[in-house]
Amino acid sequence: MIEVRFFATLRDGRGKITEIPAESASTAGDILRRFDINPEEVAILLINGFHSKPEDSVKDGDVISLFPPVGGG
Amino acid sequence: MLSRSSRRSVVADMALSEAQRTRYSRQLLMPEIGPKGQEKLLASKVLVIGAGGLGSPAALYLGAAGVGTIGLADSDAVDLSNLQRQILHSTETLGIPKVESAAGRLRGLNPDVRVEAHQVFVDGENIDALIAPYDFILECTDSFDAKALINDACVRGGKPFCHGAVIRFYGQMMTVLPGKSACYRCAFPQVPDPEKAPDARKLGVLGAVPGVIGCLQALEAIKYLTGAGELLTDRLLTFDALDMEFQSVALKRRNDCAACAGR
Repeated sequence: MIEVRFFATLRDGRGKITEIPAESASTAGDILRRFDINPEEVAILLINGFHSKPEDSVKDGDVISLFPPVGGG
Repeated sequence: MLSRSSRRSVVADMALSEAQRTRYSRQLLMPEIGPKGQEKLLASKVLVIGAGGLGSPAALYLGAAGVGTIGLADSDAVDLSNLQRQILHSTETLGIPKVESAAGRLRGLNPDVRVEAHQVFVDGENIDALIAPYDFILECTDSFDAKALINDACVRGGKPFCHGAVIRFYGQMMTVLPGKSACYRCAFPQVPDPEKAPDARKLGVLGAVPGVIGCLQALEAIKYLTGAGELLTDRLLTFDALDMEFQSVALKRRNDCAACAGR
């Protein structure tokens, strides 16, 4: 399984944490598509705590964290 | 007979008036601040850019702590819709420039504070001169463009600063020591399209959320100025009020950072 953690406004309608079967995604971009998230909506994408890009590969046991841009003051 | 260290302490105390020793007594008690730290605060200059939801609590706590000079930069006037979160302002100051409203509030709070009001919209033309006289900058603006502009100017000018941002029940912040720690653009290389990014004007924000983040920004400024503790560098702190959860994300300087690479 791959654990996907959403932060701030990306939690809307998706919850806080979910798991998906490892075979359902080969890249972080596949996970974004699965949850209907445009890459532009993601300011920080972490794979196991490391800054990553949508084209980076994911595997069983990985933890993906997705942070949106936050700009209010 | 006083020991040498006790004598130094008495001499330091003498620099504070009786009223100041009373006003700041709770923080003078703490070794991390003490009389020397208080004198540093009174001699310090902090610029708060944005006198809104974040800038309100930040400026109030800086003023209460006795930061001697507080600059406030904001081009807007106080609007009724601001008062749900912008606690520097009041119903009595509706319609007047935010920097004037804020200056009056801060002077009333603490006569030790000299307030410098800059009623300007920060842009590429004025930002370098605006930040130059200050020791520490609080980035409390509400636009991605301004956040990137202020980051780049602080990196250019070697000015330490603390970034804050909020939306709905969520907040984030980080402190930047230019040339030493990851900057805002190391964390967020792309300036988002404001039309597509979440916008607090459309999605809302609960006033206490910028209250939390603004207070933490003021703490970072006070810690930097007094040398107390560890700063929030190379980390992005995120806050979720719904789950009452803080999380810290490690950040590293980017070799290809558009703002700080090579500096």
